This record gives sequence, C-alpha cells and structure tokens, in this order.
Amino acid sequence: MKKLTTALLAAAAMTSVSAGIAFAQADYPTSPVTIVVPFAAGGPTDTVTRLIAEPMSAELGQQVIVQNVAGAGGTLAGTQVANAPADGYQILMHHIGMSTAPTLYPDLAYNPLEDFEMIGLVTNVPMTVIARKDFEPNTFEELVTYVQENADSVTYANAGIGAASHLCGLLFMSAIDTQVTTVPYQGTGPAMTDLLGGQVDFMCDQTTNTTGQITSGEVKGYAVTTPERLDALPDLPTTAEAGLEEFQVGVWHGLYAPAGTPPEVIEKLTAALQTALQDENVITRFAELGTRPVSLEEATPEAHEAYLSEQIDLWAPIIEAAGEMAQQ
Amino acid sequence: MELLANLGIGFSAALDPTNLLYCFVGVLLGTLVGVLPGIGPTATIAMLLPITFSFEPVTALIMLAGIYYGAQYGGSTTAILINLPGESSSAVTAIDGYEMAKQGRAGPALATAALGSFFAGTVATLILAVAAPPLARAALNFGAPEYFSLIVLGLLASIALAHGSVLKALAMIVLGLLLGMVGQDIYTGTPRFTFGFFELYSGINFVSVAVGVFGVAEILRNLEHETTRDVLVKKVENLWLTKDDFKRIIAPVLRGTALGSVLGILPGGGHVLSSFASYSFEKRISKHPETFGKGAIEGVAGPESANNAGAQTSFIPMLTLGIPAHPVMALMIGAFIIQGITPGPNVINDEPILFWGIIVSMWVGNLMLVLLNLPLIGLWVKLLTIPYKVLFPAIIAFACIGCYSINLNVFDVYAIVVFGFIGYLLVKLGCEPAPLLLGFVLGPLLEEHLRRAMIISRGDPMIFVERPISAVLLAFAVAAVVVAVLPSVRRKREEVFVEDD
Amino acid sequence: MGNQKSFNDIASGLIFIGIGIAFGYAASGYQIGTALRMGPGYFPLVLAGLMCILGIAIVVKGMARDAQPSEFGIVPWRGMVLLLGAIAFFGFTIRGLGLVPSLFVALLMASLASRRNTLASALVLATSITALCVAIFIYGLSVPIALFGPWLPL
Repeated sequence: MKKLTTALLAAAAMTSVSAGIAFAQADYPTSPVTIVVPFAAGGPTDTVTRLIAEPMSAELGQQVIVQNVAGAGGTLAGTQVANAPADGYQILMHHIGMSTAPTLYPDLAYNPLEDFEMIGLVTNVPMTVIARKDFEPNTFEELVTYVQENADSVTYANAGIGAASHLCGLLFMSAIDTQVTTVPYQGTGPAMTDLLGGQVDFMCDQTTNTTGQITSGEVKGYAVTTPERLDALPDLPTTAEAGLEEFQVGVWHGLYAPAGTPPEVIEKLTAALQTALQDENVITRFAELGTRPVSLEEATPEAHEAYLSEQIDLWAPIIEAAGEMAQQ
Repeated sequence: MELLANLGIGFSAALDPTNLLYCFVGVLLGTLVGVLPGIGPTATIAMLLPITFSFEPVTALIMLAGIYYGAQYGGSTTAILINLPGESSSAVTAIDGYEMAKQGRAGPALATAALGSFFAGTVATLILAVAAPPLARAALNFGAPEYFSLIVLGLLASIALAHGSVLKALAMIVLGLLLGMVGQDIYTGTPRFTFGFFELYSGINFVSVAVGVFGVAEILRNLEHETTRDVLVKKVENLWLTKDDFKRIIAPVLRGTALGSVLGILPGGGHVLSSFASYSFEKRISKHPETFGKGAIEGVAGPESANNAGAQTSFIPMLTLGIPAHPVMALMIGAFIIQGITPGPNVINDEPILFWGIIVSMWVGNLMLVLLNLPLIGLWVKLLTIPYKVLFPAIIAFACIGCYSINLNVFDVYAIVVFGFIGYLLVKLGCEPAPLLLGFVLGPLLEEHLRRAMIISRGDPMIFVERPISAVLLAFAVAAVVVAVLPSVRRKREEVFVEDD
Repeated sequence: MGNQKSFNDIASGLIFIGIGIAFGYAASGYQIGTALRMGPGYFPLVLAGLMCILGIAIVVKGMARDAQPSEFGIVPWRGMVLLLGAIAFFGFTIRGLGLVPSLFVALLMASLASRRNTLASALVLATSITALCVAIFIYGLSVPIALFGPWLPL
C-alpha cells in the first residue's frame, strides 16, 4: 500500500512542479520546522508560540524554531510564509489580525483563505480595557460616558495598525458610537510605557500584556472582553455585565502553512498542535497568562477555516466604517 | 540596611556555582558575538532562548543578560582593531579607537575600553540596585515631545562627531535620516523607497551600513596606496596605559558613565544616544578638540563608558515596569514570560532572589569581562601584526557571513556593496561616515516621535516648547548650534580683520 | 590659491542635491497628510528638501573665493571592482552554492584585490579563511547556513 502511494505520488510529482516536496513528505519532518511569528519577540503571540513550540517539537521529532518577522501589522510575516515553499518547514502563527488584514490593507499581497492551508486554532486570549492610573472614570460604565462626552480630548493608544489593541479600539468605538484620537505605537511595550507615564489615556490589550500592571495597580482596569470573568482577574467585570454586550473580542490564534502543502504534512502538524495543546505545562502557563487552549475540535483545519472566514466577514464592515484602511 | 540585605540575597544567588558558570558562559558568548561583526546580541539571545527553557529562571536570565552586556564589551574590539563596528554604539569608538590602533596604540585603546566599561558597569549596577523603581517612574515623564527634542539635541550636538566641514556633517546626518526612512511606514504600513523589493520592507540593515561605510570604505582607502606604503603600523608601542593616559581618561570615564546611566533609563531608546552624546560632549569641552578624530584617548574612554552604563541601566524599565527599551530587552521579557514570571512592578517583591540575583550577577559578569578581556589585549594586538593582505580578506569574509546570518537576507549583503561604494566616494570627498550612521539610527525614532507628538497635541507644534523638559532640551539644542557656529564666525571676523590690516 | 574652487565641495554638494531630488521625487508619490496626521510622505519630503538646501550650500561654499583646495586622489579601480564584486558574488551565490564554494570564490576575488597577493597566495588565503569561517560560524555558532547549496549536484 505504501509502495503504491509512493508510486502514485511520484507520478504526480513528475507532472507537478513540487517534485522535491512530494518525495520529502513521507518522512516529514527531516529538518527543523520554523514557526514564523509576525510580531516582536517577547510579545504575547511570541510567548504563545514559544510555549507550544516545545511540545510540538517533541511530537514532530524535530526542533521547532520560532522566527520573529515583525512589521506592518503582521502582514510582512504573512507575505513571507505565503511565498515560502509549501513543504511544511515554514509555517505561520497568526492571530485575529489574519482576518482583518484583507480589509485593513487593500493591496495585501496574499489572500488569507486562498494562500494558506489551515492547521488549527490555538487559543483565544481575552482582552482588557485599561487606562492610566489617574484617568477620571472609575468603572466601565463611567468610562463609556466619559469617552462619549470628551471624545475630542481623549486619546486611545494602540500597538500599531492591525494589532489586537487597534482592532479592540475600533470595536469599542463602534460599540459606543464615538470616535476618539488614536495614537499608534510600535508594539505593546512602548504603548504601555506611555500609558504608565500618563501620556495617553486608555487602551485595550490582551491579558498577557496587562495582568501584571492591573494587579499591581500601575494601571486602572475596567473590564474584560470575554463572556465570563477571568480567574486571573476576578475583580474585573465583563463588558456584558457592564452593559455593552456587543463589545466582545478575543485574540484568537491559529497556525497556517503555505497553500499547496501536502495533506499528509498538514495532518502531522495538526496532530503535533493537538498534542501541544494537551500538554500540562502549556495548560498551566496559558492559565497564568489568563487564557486556555482551544478544544481539540477547534484545533483542526476545518474549524479553523470556518472561523477565519466568519471573522473576515465580521471585521470588514467595522474597519470600513472607521475608514482606517492603510494607504498603500 | 535593606539594600545590604537585598544585595546579600543577590550575592547568594549570583555566586551559586551553576549561576556563576552560566554567567561566565553568557559573557564569553557575548564577547565572542560582539567581536564578530553582524551576529549581535539580539540574534544570539533569540537563538539561545529555547535552550534556557530547561534552566532555573534566575540562571536563564543571568546568562541572557550576560550575553547582552558581554556583546557591548566585545563590540568595541573590532571597531578599534579593524574599523568594523558591529553596533551603533561602537561606531563612535571606531572614530578615535581605530586611529589609535593605526598609531600603534591599540593596546591602550582596548585597555581604556575595558577599564571604562568596567567602571561604568559597576556604577550603573549600583544605580540599578539603589534607585531603580523611582528612576523608572521619573523616566516615564518622557513622552513623544520629549523624545523628539532629545533626538534633535542629539543630532545637532553630534556635528561635533566630524572634524571637518560642519555643513558636510549636517548633510551626512540628513542623508542618514533619509536612509532610515527606507522600509514600511510604521503608522500606515506604506512601503517607502523599497523599489518594490519585499526584502527592503523592514528597512536597510544597520550592520550592513556600518560595515560598508566604515569597514569596506577603509579597506578601499588602504588599497589606494599599497604600492607605496604598508598599511597599519608594525610597531606596537605598549600594551598598557601610561600614567598620562590614566590622567586623561579619568574625567571622560566619569562623565560618560553619568551621561550613559541617565540616557539608558529612558525606555524610548535613550541608550542609542549615549555613546554619540558622550563623544560630542567630550570634544566640546576638550581643550584640544582638534585631536579628536586623530586618536584622542578621551574619544574612546567617554563613549565606551557611556555605552556600557547605558546598556546596564536600560534594564531598569524592564525590571521595574516590565517595559522593554529595545529589542534585546523585549527578548528578556519574553524569557521572563516563558519562565512563568510576569514582568512588571511585582517582580521586585514577588521574586526577590531573581531580581537581586540578576543585578548582582551583572556586577560579577562585568568583573569577569574585565578579567577575561585584559589578558586578551595582547592577543588582539598581535592580530594587527598579520600582514594587511591577509587580514582584509578575512575581514570581508566575517563581514559577509555576519551580515547574512542576521536575517538570512541576501539584501543585507548587497547593502554592504552599495554602502561600501557610497561610503568610499563620500569619504574621498571629505564627508565623514559617523554622522551618517547616527542619522540612520535616529531617523526612524525622530519621525515616530514627531508624528506621535503631533497627534497627541492635535497638530499644535507649540507642544514642544510648552512642555518644560522638551523646552529645556530644545534650548540646549539651539545652544549647541550657536556654540558650534560661533568660533568659526569669530575666526572669520579675525581673518577679515587681518586682511584689512 | 585664493581663487581655487573646491572640487570636493562641489562634487559632494551635487551628489547631495541629486540624492535629495531622488528621495523628494519618490516621497512626493506617498500620501503627505497634514501636520496633525502626517502621512508617510511628509517627513521624507521635509528631509529631502533639507538635503537639497544643504547640498546647494556646500556647492556655493565650494565656489567661494576662499575655498580649501583639495584633491580627489587616486582610485584603486582593480581593487574596488574585485572587492565589491567579491561581496556581491557572495550575496548572489550563498543560497544556491552554499557557504563553502561561495565564500571560497569570494575570498579568491577579495584577496586578488590587493596587488601584493599572487594567485598562489590568494588560493592559500581563500582555503584557510574558508576553513576558519566554517569552524567558527557553522560548528562554533551553529549559524543556519548550508555548507553546500542546492545548485550543486551533490
């Protein structure tokens, strides 16, 4: 049987350009696998990736290397992996930004649904609405009123076009029907610096970045954007509790391979991902970051693809309404 | 007394045999990658991060920190010996350090760098131990307008980097700023000056520019006269500092340490200014500014101390607030998170052994570095006795592999060719490369902070003079230009006077 | 000497003006924006203008009566072509040929950039430095570069 498969594949290979790949896939992986992270090292997406890279590497029997290709809201890395050989040796970890890039960047060099094979969802990181320590409003309800009344003086920080904090801000503004001045930064670190220094008023970012500062009282925490309260931040109400049900957002992460990657390779990668998501250490560490792995049904190519296309349709009107497309 | 108790905790952690060993591994590796152009601390730490998974958190962070400041140390070696700076900070050291080497004083130059760095490292570590949290909080008063004004001050003060025409130095700074614009605009994602090359989206690589305008241009200059004279000196005068040298470096080391410590604390990229600022300052206050650029030992002592002090104090915002001042610190934060520690203000209370262990290990690591590097000076200087026709192909090989290995991007290699040619051409026309590099490093920061300040102020440029810190910095900038222009104006007037006579 | 124009000043000034115009032209294609929301073209355009002004100032100074006399000196054409060619060759072939052949040829070219090297000494240099680099970068630092690349029938 195996011989037959090999023969068929060999025949297919002769008529296709992917000759080298077809021969290589049976014993994939034979060399280290690189996961490209579209954001800087040390950030939340990077951390999530590095945490699952270790157990994935044990399952694949090859080293899994994490490479950071930061820039342009993650589209730089997306373009790189979309153009990489479809052999499963270079895959992409991307978050919610994958679903917003087609709208944010009208000239995007790739199509998220067509230029990638989905491997599976990874996790859905909750977000928190926070403000500088001395910002006037004390509760989420007060914040909404305050922002609506002072729309022309309030400033909102985000970590750059396409970053989770940018999207969360758009959704918030769309939910409360108010536009405020947005100050972009290169990553969450500098944005947090200016928030701590009181240079900007408020922002919304993943728990991975904000939990430490909220619990120590360095910043004011208002709400979490999930349906339920979080174990790590039990005092923060959900946005729904605070009366803004339509403002719910999570930074979901998924793994992608270039389009045309052989199904056998995708299968192996999905299996490795699922193993990693059941790893004790991964579960504990995710919990410390205020998140948890997705269910095994969601860590599949099918669920991933369905969710991605649903998210693309969700974000397109919000971004278009805000007119926040990048000028290319 | 609490400080002593804390330092006690730190020493017991740092002097643990395992930690001591990995601290040594870290600084050794750091020195090595610092000496080799191209592979910098960022790449090394990123490569080694996964290995540290299995370590104890304190061991992992001690080693990673060691790589970082070890690389700051090693970076000056190639700058001094072969005019090949691997990082922005050592570009300044190359100016006078390489001149000293050409005069047969590579030994004293290297010793100055080592001693200055050690002193600065010790002082900065002490600052870190005594006053990290309040300093970090004070640094948060620096917003976009303040950074913009600080960078303007840095740029204008750095006219002193050149020993020739002020106009040309300014033009080189602007050229550097323009080159820094290449790549994707961070605010909109628009690719600029990339000619459609995807490889240029993340900008031109600093190391390629530095290796091109300093290293390759210098080799080309040396090839000019090889038939008539031998390049570099064969006679090495002495390996160690003379009594006079010691006297000359004390004040610059002290000033450099102070300047570097202050700038390093600023989380928005103050540390990149430290060595440039120190050089400009030393030249400005020197009684013999004409010796700068011709092998002035003060031009090595000041910047090297400033650089190391800044590297050390740039840990302050990371350790006390959990915010990264530069990519290496971002990686360190990643290391914290991977170890299960949320970086932020809680670390100092929740993880005292880790916090104080890292701080004390920095001092221990600096001691190791000085003990490691001083005996190596003899060896490094021997390197200069290698005939140039053998040495320069090796330099080219290291530069090529080093630049390529940073991102495995061949464009970084082509950039060496382009900047080698441009650098050589401009140097022949009497333009100096150091201001260009400074502009290149600061260009993106200048634009980022200018645009952010304008957004925050809603388009009102008065924000730069209304905010007190920013206003003071701008006033200094104006003063720097006036001081730079006045002597030449006075000289002109004197000349006119003489002619009339 | 008082009337001599400075070749260096005029030439470098003209180069700066040229660079300024080139960057300015490219920058004008990007969105300029307003002072509040500066577009990607705003800052580069300002810099390009500044570059032109400085270039003109340098040319004017070079034309001035009391310009410093200067000379461009000789250019090591053979060395320059071989040296820059060596680096470009390395960049062009590193992925295809791999480190060993690419570096070896590049080093051969670079060594011959010096007239003091003979073909024999260049061969010795290329061999030994290639070996040294493989030892340091591949075995010492495990830099992920292939020793021999896919262009070779190995």
